[in-house]
Amino acid sequence: KVLGVPGLPNYHSTQEYVLQAITGFCFLFSTHLIYQARLFAIAPHQKGKVQEEPVLSVQNKQAQHFDWALNKLDSSVRRTGRITRTLLLRIFHDMCRTGYPSSNQALLLLRSCGSLLPEVPLCERTELAHMIWGKLQDLGAVYDASHYNALLKVYLQNEHKFSPTEFLSKMEEANVQPNRVTYQRLIAAYCNEGDIEGASKILGFMKMKELPITEAVFSSLVTGHARTGDMENAENIFSVMRDAGIEPGPDTYLALLNAYAEKGDINSVKQILEKIEKMEGYLMDRDLLQVIYSLAKAGYPQYVPDILSQMRYERGYIPDAMNLSLNLITQGLEDTAFQVFKSFPTLPSENHSETSMDYGNFFLQHCVHMDKPLSKLKQFCDELKEANMHSSPLQFTLYCALESKKAALAINLMKTMKEEGLPLRPHYSWPLLVGYQKEKNVQGTIGVLKAMHELGVEPDVETYTNYVLTNFDDIQTFRALLQENGCPFETEGLSVAALRHEAIYGTLENITELLYKDGRYCQTPPGPAEAVGYFLYNLIDSMSDSEVQAKEEHLRQYFHQLKKMNVVIPTNIYRGIRNLLAAYHVPELIKVCGYINTEVSALEEELEKLKAEKQPIGNVLKQLIVALCAEENMQKALEVKAKYEPDMVVGGYAALINLCCRHDNVEDAMNLKEEVFRKDSSVALDTNKYLALVKVLGKHGRLEDAINILKEIKEKDIPIKDTTVTSFFHILNAAAMRGEVETVNRLHESILTLGLAKPSTNLCTPLITVHLEKDDVPSALEATIDCYKKYGKMPRLHDILCRLIEQGNTELLQKAMDFVSQERGEMMMLYDIFFAFLNTGKYKEAKKIIETPGLRARPGSLQWFAEKCIATNQMETLENMVEMTQKLFECDRDEMYYYLLKLCKISNDWRKAEATWTKMQEENVIPRARTLRLLADTLKNNGQEVPFDVPEVICDNTKAVSRSIFCSNIFNIRTVVFIISPWCSTIYYRIRSIAETHIKGFTLNDAASSLLIITQVRRDYLKDAISTLKKVLESDMVPMSLAVIRLIQALAMKGDLESICTVEKMVENLATSIGLSRMLFVNNTVLAHIKKPATDLFLQYVDAGRVDDARFLLQVIIYQERNSSGQKIKTLLDLVPDFPDMKIVYSYLLKSLDNDVVSAKTLFEKMKSENIHTDEIFLKRLAVLLKNAGEPVPFTEPPESFHFYVNKLTQERQEISSHAE
Amino acid sequence: MAATRGSSRRVFELFVSQIHWTLATKELRDYFAQFGTVRKCTLPFDKETGFHKGFCWIGFSSEEGLRNALQKESHILDGIKLQVQQQKRRSFRSQYTNEGETDMS
Repeated sequence: KVLGVPGLPNYHSTQEYVLQAITGFCFLFSTHLIYQARLFAIAPHQKGKVQEEPVLSVQNKQAQHFDWALNKLDSSVRRTGRITRTLLLRIFHDMCRTGYPSSNQALLLLRSCGSLLPEVPLCERTELAHMIWGKLQDLGAVYDASHYNALLKVYLQNEHKFSPTEFLSKMEEANVQPNRVTYQRLIAAYCNEGDIEGASKILGFMKMKELPITEAVFSSLVTGHARTGDMENAENIFSVMRDAGIEPGPDTYLALLNAYAEKGDINSVKQILEKIEKMEGYLMDRDLLQVIYSLAKAGYPQYVPDILSQMRYERGYIPDAMNLSLNLITQGLEDTAFQVFKSFPTLPSENHSETSMDYGNFFLQHCVHMDKPLSKLKQFCDELKEANMHSSPLQFTLYCALESKKAALAINLMKTMKEEGLPLRPHYSWPLLVGYQKEKNVQGTIGVLKAMHELGVEPDVETYTNYVLTNFDDIQTFRALLQENGCPFETEGLSVAALRHEAIYGTLENITELLYKDGRYCQTPPGPAEAVGYFLYNLIDSMSDSEVQAKEEHLRQYFHQLKKMNVVIPTNIYRGIRNLLAAYHVPELIKVCGYINTEVSALEEELEKLKAEKQPIGNVLKQLIVALCAEENMQKALEVKAKYEPDMVVGGYAALINLCCRHDNVEDAMNLKEEVFRKDSSVALDTNKYLALVKVLGKHGRLEDAINILKEIKEKDIPIKDTTVTSFFHILNAAAMRGEVETVNRLHESILTLGLAKPSTNLCTPLITVHLEKDDVPSALEATIDCYKKYGKMPRLHDILCRLIEQGNTELLQKAMDFVSQERGEMMMLYDIFFAFLNTGKYKEAKKIIETPGLRARPGSLQWFAEKCIATNQMETLENMVEMTQKLFECDRDEMYYYLLKLCKISNDWRKAEATWTKMQEENVIPRARTLRLLADTLKNNGQEVPFDVPEVICDNTKAVSRSIFCSNIFNIRTVVFIISPWCSTIYYRIRSIAETHIKGFTLNDAASSLLIITQVRRDYLKDAISTLKKVLESDMVPMSLAVIRLIQALAMKGDLESICTVEKMVENLATSIGLSRMLFVNNTVLAHIKKPATDLFLQYVDAGRVDDARFLLQVIIYQERNSSGQKIKTLLDLVPDFPDMKIVYSYLLKSLDNDVVSAKTLFEKMKSENIHTDEIFLKRLAVLLKNAGEPVPFTEPPESFHFYVNKLTQERQEISSHAE
Repeated sequence: MAATRGSSRRVFELFVSQIHWTLATKELRDYFAQFGTVRKCTLPFDKETGFHKGFCWIGFSSEEGLRNALQKESHILDGIKLQVQQQKRRSFRSQYTNEGETDMS
């Protein structure tokens, strides 16, 4: 009589239980667990002595992380009913990294290792669970019954065979008491093996412990009997249940259905289903899907359609069916999986694109992951295509194969695609090649190339350049390997790629060789000239400034070589190259490059010919001049000009003038300019030519002429572009570098007074540079002070301060500091001097400055200096800055370390990067995702292992604000912790006492005090908050406006007028400087009054003639008292019959009479009788009100919209008030 | 200096997204050439995966090409719709905007 347990308690219905277990567990658990987590994180440690802060932050972090992990898993389960292995492992590794996995974290993970992983083979799921179990235990997770039960559930879901007695003894060893759920699951385990005896043994335990027997136990027994082959006894369980007072529910029926399904007895299955229907019982689709699973597993797929036809397609059917599909694929039953997939009712769109309706991606992808044979895949693809369910199933399957780097499958799929006439493209091979490239697997690379060749796809230049050639030390070896493997080794793609490869990694000599010894380049139709030209252009275009400058010598030799080979390039390309080189500031190269643009001879011949034929030569002459200019052949160009002077046109002159300027030939340039002007005084040159003249004139000390040119620019209204202003700077700067004070000053002045440019820091800089170049620091300082007075700019202050520090000129330094302090404030001055000390290596002094009490972080300034350090590769300086700002208030530590890592990346110093990472941990800085990515990049680039999960690039911005507070320095984290926690004061006092005992001279600074006020307000300790504010003010600190606002608001809510007055007086002097508006006090005084009888104040206002305040009070009251139907105002009206502006009162009154037509009409009559003017807004409002109520409108309704009159009134008021001022 | 180069080599750019993985630079170039001379076609590939990132920039040498392309209602390549829009210049907003605190909240 094992089963006769009386008084069974009320349980959740089984269905509910299954539901919870499968989909919603995260959601259901979440509130409870988050609560626990929070409690755990914040409650003071009870185990003996007081712990240091790290514990607090670790726990806090843990709680946050738990929320995050939970959300992740939760949303995945909710969306899809499943979790991917990748996600699970990511969360697991993350937990391991934080070091202290909590027991609910462990539970969360364990719970996820069962049927939520349909894409993972059963045994692997259990292995995962065991791995997680062991690892978290090592890390100190403490397991209780819930964990053991979760593990049991996972065993059952994964059909894992284990010994229940061993399991029990393990629990015993661990001193964990099994509970009812444990026993139920152990019974299920026995029953799944058909071991009724074992199940009975457990039932005995349950009886002994007086545990109730639930439906779950009976369902297990149905399964148990069925699996011993005893269907009669299985059916008998139903009556036993009823005897025990339990009505068999869907769970038990499902057990029976599964039992018949496993036997392939479809008739019985159908009968039971009919029976359930007759009983008005209800099986969910999800239950039927389980029957399908049983049929398929037991080898009766032929009956699956029978069950599928019974589906009701409830909500959630598709994710459930999808998971069944995946599970079946995982277990080698892909044909049934496909049947299930095809049963999807209205197929959801899997991607956003409207034009394609591709269904079954999940199916194909999982088939690929599970290594289904090509023939199977092809069969599925064909069916999908035929059924019009997928537009390109083969391509998608190929995508999956490539993505999971299944090379053989990918190649075979491509073969199939080719047979089907689908195009194959070179980049299809890239995902595979990328893999081999990383592994440096030459054989793999060649294999792919060979396969592609056999498929008739020849690799393009990109393929070779980006994915192949980097694997080989030299191209000859590679060519040989290709030849060996029967691949073409002389394709155009390869040759071009080889060239590019050389261009990137090799020397230009090699390129030349390639270019000229390789006949292929000369075969193309436009001829070698074009090809070489474009190659050169692209080569130079793809190089950076510094690269071009670094390779200047190489390029020069290369151009010479080309010249020797009598190679010419077309003028248009030459011009392009010349422009590029000009932009790179390598004028020397332009000259050399000019040698290879030789079309001069041809033009000369033509010119002579035309001349002989007495035809106009103007055009050709210009071309020749331009060509000679391009060649930089000034002498010859001038000769040609002299020879054909009458035929010269403006374009020729302009080119020639520019050429002379470039060659520093100021005389000829000016002569030519005058000459052309004599021909036509209206001629204007273009901006660049004028600038070239100014430059060369300045250089030769012809200051007046230069200024005249500037005037001409103005007079002739020559367009000034951004680049022109840049050129001005360069002209000025060049003069400054030559130390010509007068030139700089006068040119600068002319440019500004002529209005050619606006004053800017950049343009002012040469004014100071000129003195610094001469090492005349006092004049430089004078100049910058002068500059500030004239233009409000302070250029090169940093350099001046650095020089003064280097020279030890304390007197001038003091002067400079006073000046900055006076003009830009003490804070800016401190930063300026801090940066100057840092830059000059005076770290001790710098440290003193940055530790000035009350100094806070200025992100913009810190960024400026950091970027300066990065640009000039000053690692030591930057490191010092980052270290010194550790304690700086509100300093974003992650940001600081980010700068440091940026420089590490640029200088490719992975050791420094790694050390930085350690430092961040030491400082408890939580890095932002971008910081981690930067670090990971640096490590990876140097072949180092990345010791953490690199965050994906996803919407970082949303998190940035909320997370940024955690990136700040330690003290900030502490303050933040006490703001956000309801137990804050306790923690705050603890922190303060720790700080006071550990940090000498510790006092809370402004911001921390303000935070304390806010905290006290939140906790409703308003008196304390006021006294804190008082202390702050007494010690000459400045509270944050937010703190005052919060305090005032809280006082208003309490109706504490007196205290509002007190606070208003306390902060009277500060109000404007910290941005507290007077309205804050007015509004909140009003609010405080509302908490009291409002009429008092209203009357006071009216008495005092403060109409505005009274009006405002009315407005507020109306807002607050909407529901009392204007009753208050009516009362007010009775109280104050002589209110100065009754119109306003009435208009508010009408506004408050929401839909009270009768009152509105009465009001209107009253106003008419009292002869009060009704304005348009009033009439409009009344008209609308009447019309809505279906009443006639007894006056002319104002024609415009309501808003029109509101705007009108507002405008009128503004005008009145502006007149009043 | 960048400004100098940028302005002298101005291109008229389209931003194209939702590009199917089977397409590469050549296909895109060929397709957009019907609207005007394509001066550049930048389709970034992920060096880790070997797949492109699904978006690219098409630079026309004339404004006309750009306009032609934008005028076409939908762009379908290999049966799949491309998302095409004009490349806007990025604007930089101040990172440190003050949080507005109202007097009555």
